Amino acid sequence: MLEPHGDCGPHGAWFALMIFYILRRLLFLPLTLFGISLLIFLMIGFLGPYQRLATFINSPERLKGADVDKLVELYGLNDPLIIQYGRWLKNVLRGNLGWSYVGKEPVLSAILKRFPYTLELTLFAAIPIIFLGTSLGVLAALHHNRPLDHGLRIFAVVGWSFPDFVFGLFVLMIFYGTLGWFPPGNLSVWAEEIVKSPHFRNFTGMLTLDALLNGRFDVFLDALRHLAGPVLTLTYVEFAFLLRITRSSMLEVLRKEYVRTARAKGLDERVVIHKHAKRNALIPVATVSGQTVIGLLAGTVIVETIFNRTGLGSFIALASQQLDYASIMGGSLFFGLILVIGNLCVDLSYALIDPRVRLE
Amino acid sequence: MREETRKALRRLFSNASGVLGVVLLGLFVIVALFAPLLAPPKPGRDPYFMPVVTWSADPLPPSREHPFGVAGKRDIFYGVVWGTRTAFRIGILVTLASTAIGLFVGSLAGYFGRILDEILMRVTDIFMAIPFLVAAMVLTTVLGTGLDKVMIALIVFSWMYPARLIRGNILQVKEEQFILAAKSLGVSDTLIILRHVLPNAIFPVLIQASMRMGSLVITAAALSFLGLGAPQGYADWGALLNYARNWMLGGYGATFKYWYMIAFPGGAMVLFVLAWNLLGDALRDAFDPRLRW
Amino acid sequence: MKRFLVVLGCVFFALLGVLPVFAEVKNPDTYIYLSIGEPDTLDPHYAYDTASGEVINFVYENLIAYKGESVTEFVPRLATEVPTVENGLVRDGGKTYVFPIRKGVKFHNGNELTPEDVEYSFERGILFDPYAGPMWMLIEALFGYETLEDFVKDKVGIAWSDMVDEEGNLKSEEYRQKLIDFYTTYIDPAVEVEGDSVVFHLSRPFAPFLSILAQNASWSAILDKETCISLGLWDGQADGWWKYHNWKKEKSPLYEKAIGTGPFKLLEWDRTQQKVTLVRNDEYWGEKPKLAKVIIWGVDEWSTRRSMLEAGDADQVATPLQYLDQVKGLPGVVVKEGSRLTITALHFNWTVAKDSKYLGSGKLDGEGIPPDFFSDVHVRKAFSYAFDYDTFIAQVLKGYGHRVPSVIPRGLIGFNESLPMYPFDLEKAKEEFQKAWNGELWEKGFKLTLLYNTGNEARQTACEMLKENIESLNPKFRIEVQGVQWPTYLDAYRQGQLPAFIIGWLADYPDPHNFIFTYYHSNGVYGTTQGEAFRKFAEENLDALIEKAIEETDPAKRQAMYEEIQRIAYENALGMPLYQPEEVYVMRSWVKGWMFNPMRPGEVNYDGVWKEE
Repeated sequence: MLEPHGDCGPHGAWFALMIFYILRRLLFLPLTLFGISLLIFLMIGFLGPYQRLATFINSPERLKGADVDKLVELYGLNDPLIIQYGRWLKNVLRGNLGWSYVGKEPVLSAILKRFPYTLELTLFAAIPIIFLGTSLGVLAALHHNRPLDHGLRIFAVVGWSFPDFVFGLFVLMIFYGTLGWFPPGNLSVWAEEIVKSPHFRNFTGMLTLDALLNGRFDVFLDALRHLAGPVLTLTYVEFAFLLRITRSSMLEVLRKEYVRTARAKGLDERVVIHKHAKRNALIPVATVSGQTVIGLLAGTVIVETIFNRTGLGSFIALASQQLDYASIMGGSLFFGLILVIGNLCVDLSYALIDPRVRLE
Repeated sequence: MREETRKALRRLFSNASGVLGVVLLGLFVIVALFAPLLAPPKPGRDPYFMPVVTWSADPLPPSREHPFGVAGKRDIFYGVVWGTRTAFRIGILVTLASTAIGLFVGSLAGYFGRILDEILMRVTDIFMAIPFLVAAMVLTTVLGTGLDKVMIALIVFSWMYPARLIRGNILQVKEEQFILAAKSLGVSDTLIILRHVLPNAIFPVLIQASMRMGSLVITAAALSFLGLGAPQGYADWGALLNYARNWMLGGYGATFKYWYMIAFPGGAMVLFVLAWNLLGDALRDAFDPRLRW
Repeated sequence: MKRFLVVLGCVFFALLGVLPVFAEVKNPDTYIYLSIGEPDTLDPHYAYDTASGEVINFVYENLIAYKGESVTEFVPRLATEVPTVENGLVRDGGKTYVFPIRKGVKFHNGNELTPEDVEYSFERGILFDPYAGPMWMLIEALFGYETLEDFVKDKVGIAWSDMVDEEGNLKSEEYRQKLIDFYTTYIDPAVEVEGDSVVFHLSRPFAPFLSILAQNASWSAILDKETCISLGLWDGQADGWWKYHNWKKEKSPLYEKAIGTGPFKLLEWDRTQQKVTLVRNDEYWGEKPKLAKVIIWGVDEWSTRRSMLEAGDADQVATPLQYLDQVKGLPGVVVKEGSRLTITALHFNWTVAKDSKYLGSGKLDGEGIPPDFFSDVHVRKAFSYAFDYDTFIAQVLKGYGHRVPSVIPRGLIGFNESLPMYPFDLEKAKEEFQKAWNGELWEKGFKLTLLYNTGNEARQTACEMLKENIESLNPKFRIEVQGVQWPTYLDAYRQGQLPAFIIGWLADYPDPHNFIFTYYHSNGVYGTTQGEAFRKFAEENLDALIEKAIEETDPAKRQAMYEEIQRIAYENALGMPLYQPEEVYVMRSWVKGWMFNPMRPGEVNYDGVWKEE
């Protein structure tokens, strides 16, 4: 973790420290991943072989004619835990994350196919969240304890107090059911035909970006239309936290000595706010923004379910419900990777913004 | 009472939204305490299980018999009233337990530093890197459904946040003059932690805890939404909202036909979380100077 | 800056508001059906669920098909005639069936259909016989065995797992000739090509044989031999066939590839969206479908399905009964009904596993039940009297269902409405409870747990109703109703830990044998889960009757036999048949040509529907 401390040494030394720090954090990555896999495997290990069989027989329908005991044998569900874990680990080290029963394809490709969708949703939601959160937070701080401040805070907090599935269903009801603006799914039928056709090249896997890169503005707009509902839901539910952090950070900064000094010097109020207060208030905001984005990546499950979108969140949720342990392990490892690297980036950006920070 | 605290409390109560939060909470506390009077349970039955009042799965609008209506064959009013108790139980127990664990781990890591810190922080990272819903789902499948199992799952995957917070604060406080002084005087480590470090580092944790209370209730509702969480028929706002899930779009021509399915449990949830958030906000404002965010 | 962004935002929203007017396409020659879940696999010899069957049914074809809405009359499909005794294509008292194969039929990749393809399809399926698959029906019909491995063990004398390892390799060379001989002696002659026809030789007459082959039975689909061999499946040779037995689901290339002769071609199975896309086969030998494209899309959230139906973005959606009222009066939406061959029943476990946690104390002391609680006929009768069948159907199924005397649904031979049924009668229930366990039960009371798997409304309510009614008889009777997740339910069910369970069965083929065997035979899928004591009872009283009834070909005699079996079931309260449901099909009013057939997997006859106002 990074702690703000005193002065730093000469620049060269600082740079070296930074590299050393990154390397050290990355070194722990495999250990962390190993730990994650172990933890999850242990949890699943508590289940009996018939419970684990639920992955292969996932509804009462499929019980027909199934010789359950033979299936247990076939999938090695009766072997001791160590052996099952060892089998999985051996395959992972060879690059094979196993077969996903929920995705009906190898785990790795299932994850890689779905990740861009979640990433796209996260990025598109991050923009309004950060924008609204910070600008409204600044606004609230500037009108501290006056009606606008209270009003904004209640508005934000009400959003944060709403379960996302309730709000999501509202959005679906109003913006799709009544107005017909924001349909569920990824794309309309006609747009999907274009995307699936041979002349459409898949560069990133993200529909909006690919549409632009292919020069299809109509597909781009259609994809945006389908993103609007989930983005609206995520924004309203998440921006409150950012608002609060920005507000309190701004408040703290506004009281600081150097701001008073700038005011005393007779500088224009606006300059005081924009140049000095904001920049310093941004430090914790940057951290929290980063964490929000990372948190969003893992938290799109419900929105993806309600709006019927492809994504990693709904994939992992389904895998957890059906105890598709290869998918759960693979997905968790993937998330772990993202979280660790993401946190590293956030911590680094913290150091970059405030050169006074010393890397522990 | 220390002068600082008294001043802070005064600031707290002069804050309008803080007062609102406290009042709302007070209302909820009253409802929770008087649950058996407000919604009398059937004799011989576990009061936390909402009684089945009709066989048809159709929701019924509010009536004299069922003031909040009927959803999922159960009386919504009963569910909202007893759900208040459930909300408090989940919120308080999980927050207390996870904060306690977090405090313990975080204090050890922060105070003793070096290798112990490294190990504990790696373990924390591992727990934090698993998507919470995944872990909660797997855990509840393994342990079985039941409110206590849900609480265990919530505790096991939320102690990390107070731990990191307290550790960070301790790392800062540790270097302060009066701690170094106490050390050089030979005061024992435990005493130093308990009497000097913790009291100075604890306020952010308390504030974070009060804010987590609200989000915990929402997380528990999300678990109900996904079919986990409290067992079927348990008085839980999340479960009530789950009944509403498939009726939200209303009947033909009447989009808001089933408004009561969301309005009452949803309203209760929003107000409850709101109350805790307002309180947390006001606490932070009141103890402002101590804050390091 | 802020102002600019606000303006941009307004323009953005305005654009979005305008778009719908232009982008709202009704897809006139595309049919969009929203289902729950998606196919398991497209390999016809593996698939055993309706979602898979739905796709296989329109991409592949069978030798014969049901005529319209009937389940007893057939029309030719890939065969040119339906074998009957009259036209001489059914011989030897029902042990030989001859199918002349149609000429001029092409597979989707251009290959011509030949009788060899037919022979290959059936033989490959039988040799493949995956565990949990549907091939047991053909194996039972042709040979009288439950699985290929049983068949091999009986004829060769050695267990399969002793001869072949997990990778499909022989454990020892001495088995090679034995297995080759097994194939050439038993399997190969069962399905033979004779000129332009394919001949089936059964080991004994089997009344429902044609039903097992008819269209809708995905396991009897006809594959292209050349395509399969080129994909790496069985090469058709006697030597080495054991390598192709019982592959894991994902190993079979037919998992996601489907090259059939049917009216639709498989364009794509997008598993990230749970979407299957079919396109019209313009070289189809028969009457071409009016639709150009079919999209079968798994959308699990009801609210989403419903809003899409309302907006016209979907033509038909899977609708659970409890939400029917939400769509009944919607403008532009119609509701049709049909009665499938399926029943739901509550059955008892006569010998519960001793370690089950659903037994309470495990003793007849008022705090639990002994493991053989349900072996006492009075207990079973009491339960049978204590369920309010009519209220359940009226309130929970909203009237979309009716009672059946036992496990045979209406529409099949053996069904007889006038057979006795247990009425809802709390007085009689009380009497039976008082007689149970020599009167001890009434004195001491009991406590047990009924489980249902979460997500199933109807079963949950049935358990709750039973609980309410039984508990009202005697304060010492306590039933706990618990909802558990599917994996936990499966586990408890498999280990014989459930004292009673509600279980449904959908007909594999329209014959009473499919139901009776399943529920009442000691080797039936459900028979084996009702406890050791039940198995003994079945062996002594039912097995022989059931086996005789399937070999009998005279329908009148079969009717009498099945009625006899059902009477025994009634007198001994072998189970509580709860209902036969009627299903609702919700679609837009512009759908034309929709037709129902009880045996068809899936809700739509894609080859016959079209859209017009």
